[in-house]
Amino acid sequence: MTSAPDEKRRAFEAEALPHLDTVYRVALRLSGNEAQAEDLVQETMLKAYRSWHQYKPGTNVRAWLLTILRHTFINEYRKARRKAVEVDVNRIEAFTVFEQVQETDPEGRFFDQLVDEEVLGAIDRLPDEFRETLILSDIEGLSYAEIANITEVPVGTVKSRLFRARQALQRELYDYAAEMGYIKRREE
Amino acid sequence: MTNGPREIDCQEALDRLYEYIDEELTPERAKEIRAHLKKCAPCLAVTEFEAAYIRFLEARTRAKEAPEGLRKRVLEQLLFETEPPPQEP
Repeated sequence: MTSAPDEKRRAFEAEALPHLDTVYRVALRLSGNEAQAEDLVQETMLKAYRSWHQYKPGTNVRAWLLTILRHTFINEYRKARRKAVEVDVNRIEAFTVFEQVQETDPEGRFFDQLVDEEVLGAIDRLPDEFRETLILSDIEGLSYAEIANITEVPVGTVKSRLFRARQALQRELYDYAAEMGYIKRREE
Repeated sequence: MTNGPREIDCQEALDRLYEYIDEELTPERAKEIRAHLKKCAPCLAVTEFEAAYIRFLEARTRAKEAPEGLRKRVLEQLLFETEPPPQEP
């Protein structure tokens, strides 16, 4: 005989747990460190389990988990996040990196010389609302509508945040690559 | 030429560039962009560069998995949580 709690646990394990990697990756990029990301994941999954009766079967469980994760991060963890020097997303001129490299490296081969830590480090320096949008899109592959739903903003805001986040990050990576000598800066 | 996609200019193509790459446009809008890129080499070049950049971001960041210990702790946590949540009075 199976009890109701057993059934609940089985359902949760079958539907929610497969998204653990996603929840962890997003937690890691939101919090910026592994220990905190693990705490954040455990708390998120516990909250999700406790409110599993609110989840409507057949709806987007990944988005539901990420919404809980985001609220938990904002309410309990964001204050503790160490404040690095943030990337400036306000002075973005579109496609300036491409203008720099279009003659020497139009396929963006210089990106391949960057190691993962440099890429992730630059993502971590994006301001919160831009970082979360970029993470959900480029790391987790969510649609604009899903991101709008999770971050509680209109789709138009998702588009503009994603645009600025990607362009600012690209600029950071280009500057870093130029500094390291992976690519030669164009004479300006 | 009838019923071809609406002609768009470079500005519009670039404004929608990420939406195009992310496959967020309606088929009709995407067709307009494709038609523009076919005859505009500068817009095609920047679109290809940005698409390569996004592929690079995905490739570098998606691989990481949750640590095995964490998966275990989450499962253990569930075992201790067998009670239903308190009911509203």
